Amino acid sequence: MGLRDNAIVAYAETKVMKKSDRDVWVLAGEILESLLDKTGFDKAEVDGLVMSGLTGTGGASMFWAQSTCDMLGLEVGFCEQVHTGGCSAVGAVARAAAAIDAGMCDVALCLYADTHVREHNGRNDRNYRRDWTEPYGLLGPPGAFGLLQRAYDAKYGVDLHALGKLAVTQRDHALLNENACEELRVPITIEDYLNSRMIADPIRLLDCVMLADGAAGLIVTSRRRAREKGLHKYVVPIGYAERTNFLGGENFVDVTRSGHEIAGKKALIGAGLDIKDVRSFHPYDDFLIALVIQFEAFGFCKPGKGMAFVRNTDLSYKGTLPMNTGGGQISAGQAACSSHNLIEAVRQLMGEAGERQVKDTANALVTGIGWINYGRNWGTSAALALVPNQ
Amino acid sequence: MAVAINDTLNVKREIKHYDFGMPFWEATRQKKLVIQYCKATKKYQHFPRPVSIFTGRRRDIEWREVSGRGTVFSFTIAHRGPPAFHGIEPYAIASVTLDIGVNVIAGVVNCTAEQLKIGMKVKPYWHPLENGEHLLMWQPDMDAA
Repeated sequence: MGLRDNAIVAYAETKVMKKSDRDVWVLAGEILESLLDKTGFDKAEVDGLVMSGLTGTGGASMFWAQSTCDMLGLEVGFCEQVHTGGCSAVGAVARAAAAIDAGMCDVALCLYADTHVREHNGRNDRNYRRDWTEPYGLLGPPGAFGLLQRAYDAKYGVDLHALGKLAVTQRDHALLNENACEELRVPITIEDYLNSRMIADPIRLLDCVMLADGAAGLIVTSRRRAREKGLHKYVVPIGYAERTNFLGGENFVDVTRSGHEIAGKKALIGAGLDIKDVRSFHPYDDFLIALVIQFEAFGFCKPGKGMAFVRNTDLSYKGTLPMNTGGGQISAGQAACSSHNLIEAVRQLMGEAGERQVKDTANALVTGIGWINYGRNWGTSAALALVPNQ
Repeated sequence: MAVAINDTLNVKREIKHYDFGMPFWEATRQKKLVIQYCKATKKYQHFPRPVSIFTGRRRDIEWREVSGRGTVFSFTIAHRGPPAFHGIEPYAIASVTLDIGVNVIAGVVNCTAEQLKIGMKVKPYWHPLENGEHLLMWQPDMDAA
């Protein structure tokens, strides 16, 4: 047994809402219902629950996944809450597959539910910030990415028109995605990007994600169990890797490098893919500059050539490297524990993306970025390669 | 167009420390900057940790006083701050590479938007806190220019 002996047999998601009109567990219940309906699994057959801990509503609860089992009436042999920040969505798939391989469960629900706008219950973070950044008013992620983007600019140069192209490409995708946050489904131009107000100079408003509410989920089971159940349309995870605290044992690091160098290579080797073979790319997007740094770290282009790569590549769903075809988080809304790009990749490989369907569904590469460390870039980097079962 | 940079000296701050970082804060009472040093690898580290990040051992850590002179590695201008900083924006925060080879993030004072550049030489500005400690901030180092 290994990662690729497993199958994502169904996905579900709610529409992204600027603020949810219903409780987080109602959204979770809607996801469960949809996944049971799609797969034909009985609730009693679901014996694994893997939840993302990246939730303002539940993340600070020590018992979030257990409470959710209780609320949804699930009895499971594997109950897990993943705490790798924005890597938790892809990390949940890898942990579900590992638990299935280890015999701890057979049918796992990966559940991404958050209503952090409607009900934020605090974070209880314990880290460097209270001594070393909060006294200076460094505003969380935008402040950190302000430092990062200016350092990138000094080393390689930032092309604001390239960043604007990324913003417009993702927004155009959100216009084709009925589940994207309605308030964001408004066309924008590169000029709109350039003229958007500064949040943490050089970070502009349209560089940033907007928090929103929503839920999503996947059912992961073994391919054998999928076949037995008569489920033949599924997506197979063929390569996964994550790296936390990249160069954490060094005192001074190049902030334009990240753990994606390692996680990307390892995931692609596991998948038997070269980066040139990747047919659609679904990179974690909290800020536009993170997309550029990922193009470089994964090897789509050389370090420092990310801006030129963006200028010279059609990243639309019709293009040579379709990217975040559902709008990404920046244009769909940062909801459902940042699982948006993963759900979109699964949908694309199942051929169910409607008017934004990519032509080549041979594979897809999804990434994660999790947590912000001190004066570097991010704490965890993850990569998940997916193929359809055909 | 030039952007004015405000200082954040009037912000009310109550900073909660970890016990393993206390030597840093105690030294600020005398406006001294001390940084953790790993005796085994002869390298500095910041922010303070409970162990050497190079060897993983507590016993390798000691504290050394350093000059605090450095150069701006990067900076951001906050146009929207956390609640305690509302109304003070815009203000600047810089990551500074000390001459001993670590980056230290702090707010910037006594500096105009025109002056603030990557590579600018800076030195400490010690802002008094109510408990007798001082908060490290950065100001232009005119002597080094």
